[in-house]
Amino acid sequence: MTVLQEAIRKRAAELLEAGEVVRVIAWGSGRFANQTSPLFVSAAADAEKIVFNDYCVNTLAKYALNEKVDGKIAVCVRGCDARAINRMIADNQMTRDEVYLLGVPCSGMKDRATDEVLPKCLTCTHRNPVVYDELLGEAVAEPAEEEVSGLRYSGIEAVEAMDREQRLEYFNEVFNSCIRCYACREVCPVCTCRECFVDQLRAGWQGKQNNLNENRFYNLIRVFHIGDRCIECGECARVCPMGLPLMELNRKWIKDLDELFAAGEEGLTDELDNTLGRYKTDDIEEFM
Amino acid sequence: MSRVGVFVCHCGSNIAGTVDVERVAEEAGKLPGVVLATTNKYMCSAPGQQAVKDAIVEHGLDRIVIASCSPRMHEATFRKMLAGTDINPYMLEIANVREQCSWVHKEKEVGTPKAVDLVKMAVAKVNYDAPLTTTTIPVNKRALIIGGGIAGMQAALDIADAGYPVTIVEKEPSLGGKMVMLDKTFPTMDCSACICTPKMTDVGAHPNITIKTLAEVESVGGYVGNFEVTIREKAKYVDYDSCTGCGLCETKCPQKVESEFDQGLAQRRAIYRPFAQAVPAKPSIDAAHCRKLVDGKCGVCEKLCPCGSIKFDDVDKVSTETYGAIIVATGYQLIDWTKIYGEYGGGRYKDVISGLQFERLVNASGPTEGHIQRPSDNTEPKTLVIIKCVGSRDPEKGKSYCSRACCMYSAKHAHQYLDKVKDGRCYVFYMDVRAAGKGYDEFYMNTQHDGARYVRGRVSKIYNQNGKLICQGEDTLLGSQVVVEADMVVVETAMVPADDANRIGSMLGITRDKDLWLSEAHPKLRPVETNSGGIYLAGTCQGPKDIPDSVAQASAAAMKVAILFSKDELESNAMIAHSTTSLCNGCGACVSICPYTAITLEEITVRENSRMVTRPVSKVNPGLCQGCGACTVACRPGAMDLRGFTDEQIMKEVAALCQW
Repeated sequence: MTVLQEAIRKRAAELLEAGEVVRVIAWGSGRFANQTSPLFVSAAADAEKIVFNDYCVNTLAKYALNEKVDGKIAVCVRGCDARAINRMIADNQMTRDEVYLLGVPCSGMKDRATDEVLPKCLTCTHRNPVVYDELLGEAVAEPAEEEVSGLRYSGIEAVEAMDREQRLEYFNEVFNSCIRCYACREVCPVCTCRECFVDQLRAGWQGKQNNLNENRFYNLIRVFHIGDRCIECGECARVCPMGLPLMELNRKWIKDLDELFAAGEEGLTDELDNTLGRYKTDDIEEFM
Repeated sequence: MSRVGVFVCHCGSNIAGTVDVERVAEEAGKLPGVVLATTNKYMCSAPGQQAVKDAIVEHGLDRIVIASCSPRMHEATFRKMLAGTDINPYMLEIANVREQCSWVHKEKEVGTPKAVDLVKMAVAKVNYDAPLTTTTIPVNKRALIIGGGIAGMQAALDIADAGYPVTIVEKEPSLGGKMVMLDKTFPTMDCSACICTPKMTDVGAHPNITIKTLAEVESVGGYVGNFEVTIREKAKYVDYDSCTGCGLCETKCPQKVESEFDQGLAQRRAIYRPFAQAVPAKPSIDAAHCRKLVDGKCGVCEKLCPCGSIKFDDVDKVSTETYGAIIVATGYQLIDWTKIYGEYGGGRYKDVISGLQFERLVNASGPTEGHIQRPSDNTEPKTLVIIKCVGSRDPEKGKSYCSRACCMYSAKHAHQYLDKVKDGRCYVFYMDVRAAGKGYDEFYMNTQHDGARYVRGRVSKIYNQNGKLICQGEDTLLGSQVVVEADMVVVETAMVPADDANRIGSMLGITRDKDLWLSEAHPKLRPVETNSGGIYLAGTCQGPKDIPDSVAQASAAAMKVAILFSKDELESNAMIAHSTTSLCNGCGACVSICPYTAITLEEITVRENSRMVTRPVSKVNPGLCQGCGACTVACRPGAMDLRGFTDEQIMKEVAALCQW
């Protein structure tokens, strides 16, 4: 970790010094030793503020989207960050030459509150960046191929096992707890609409009340909008202040798409796959 | 506040029988914005329409709802009616209280409240209707026909006779397609060449028709009335302007190649016309086999040619032209049975031949001059087995569909064989006989009277024993095994789309079914149109069919083109999609979902957050958009909206339905 931290600092300083990039997005220390926050470095001298430890929980890619600078931005990318970058390129939100990717292998981050590995990192299937301009440090071991499906879908087995009524009760409980702060939307690298449907008041998709119906509507439409493009970074569940199992919803949707249309994992390339927006003659049409 | 008029139609007793129309009008009268709600016996009739027009003036209506039959039926009628008033024709909603209500319910107690709900929704929607206008698109009155078989030629002749220029693009060196390979045509047994080659000559001589042979359509852009088409004419190595078609070059060319036209049963030269009556009647050089072009040695044809027409330095010609309409007539090919029917020898036995090879064998201008001979030893086969449905109606190994023409041409083959080989025996293995057509069943019965023995069942295996082809099968009517010692076997194979059809279909935005046949817009009511405006289908590219059906469809497609060309300008569709640039995030979901390739991403440069940014946004081509609405539901930011069916209008309809 310390070696990686040094490597990131060194390359960040060099890139800024050489003028190859105008900003580096990495992690900086937080108020506590076991806390970090995204750090935006514009001067080579500030590169030493970069930290890389067990608590770098934020997926950084989406921050690159909101940088209003002229020039290249360097972003530290692990598996999740890199897939998010691919996602945003495929969605035409950025181009590959706008970013310089500092690849950082990652074996999982820890939850500050419990000091245990984060749930999103426990189910990670790509610990090394899938795209980068340079890889810092040594690549870490990826999970074996036969483990991947279990990592992705074992979390939803309990929900799938429920009967209709139990499931309704379970999700009613979940949606009742939602406070619709939209943190899940803000952090999501797929949520790149210029104006989210919940904010389109004239169209009136989303009611203003905070009740079960409206919360259910928001959460289900959120999954409909992002499910086929979700890169499974798990940031939505991590940032949810109410601790809602948002990835379970996503993963169920992803599993269905996988089984019906062999959708595969998203964000591994920067090509638009668009599972729900394309038609193939051998698509399953059992409802016809 | 809008001034809505609601008109409820009795449709005789069609609606009034199961819907209390007076009640519906009474309820409609209470809805916000409705200033008049009334009924009429027949709203679509001249007095019915006049009543609406009078009410518009009398009550100062600015939009109307008509509760009647499906909008598919009379929406256009009522739009036309409004065009004669002060109201924009699109300030109209149809509440479908017939197909969706009165016809599906038996009791008024059920039908009436539902009709009220349907009217409520229509009133809610009409309040958000906006006047829409159409624009006009100029029509380029030139037609392109892809494929020069019998369907393509018929369509070309019809359009050309109507006075419009036509270009035929044919990928082979000659027009004629599959029909010109055939010997005789069922059920009349007139000679195929005798009815096909005069058409080819007519096409070749028609002043309105341009023929491009050895040519392919490379790309198609634009939209109805204005297609930009790039065509590649492959190098022919012969200058057609100076060549007289004397044929001297063909006689001396030393390189022999298996003839495609004779289905591999004979040989042609490297410089060749596929057959004597080819149109254009001039040879071309097969670059893959020409010794001069492959090795640089030979050039005999160049030395012999009295006109100096041989051009070894010829290159492909690529041209881009504008056409107003396109007819696709790419035809079919036969399924490659050798790859899937190993039990029939998989092509190892020379005397197991396809139906098209039999056509060449029995043809007076074919390789045997019409004598039926085994390809292996040129002897006359005394026992012939014909197997039908090879690849057709066989979902396990071939195709699930029926190829339609094989029942009749296998009867024809049996008839021709028995006619020419007087002491021959002919067995036809069949699943059942489908002879639906004028004179078809009579023809089949005659073949049976000729002595053809029809055995109901499939042949399970063919193997060679002492020079005989042993066909093992089952007679399912007798319930017993059958073994026939055949001298020759004809497999009547399934029709499948031509190699190129899938590429052409995707280039033109024509949907294809699971077997890659091109899909018509509606199987009954729009059988020659595609879902893309200005693109029509003719012949077997749409599905297996015989010659009369292909010709009929070709003439129908030609008529559609003539109708299109009868106007100087086309009215564009008013109800099309449009994108709100400020909402569009350029994700491109609409581009890939659009079945008409009507949407593209375009870069715009705008000032945002105090800096100039360049970003992609989607743009709808109004000529190409057919208003299907697929993009509006694929658009997550809600930037795409369909005029006449806006998100807002649909939400209002839902809200109206959900009110208690």
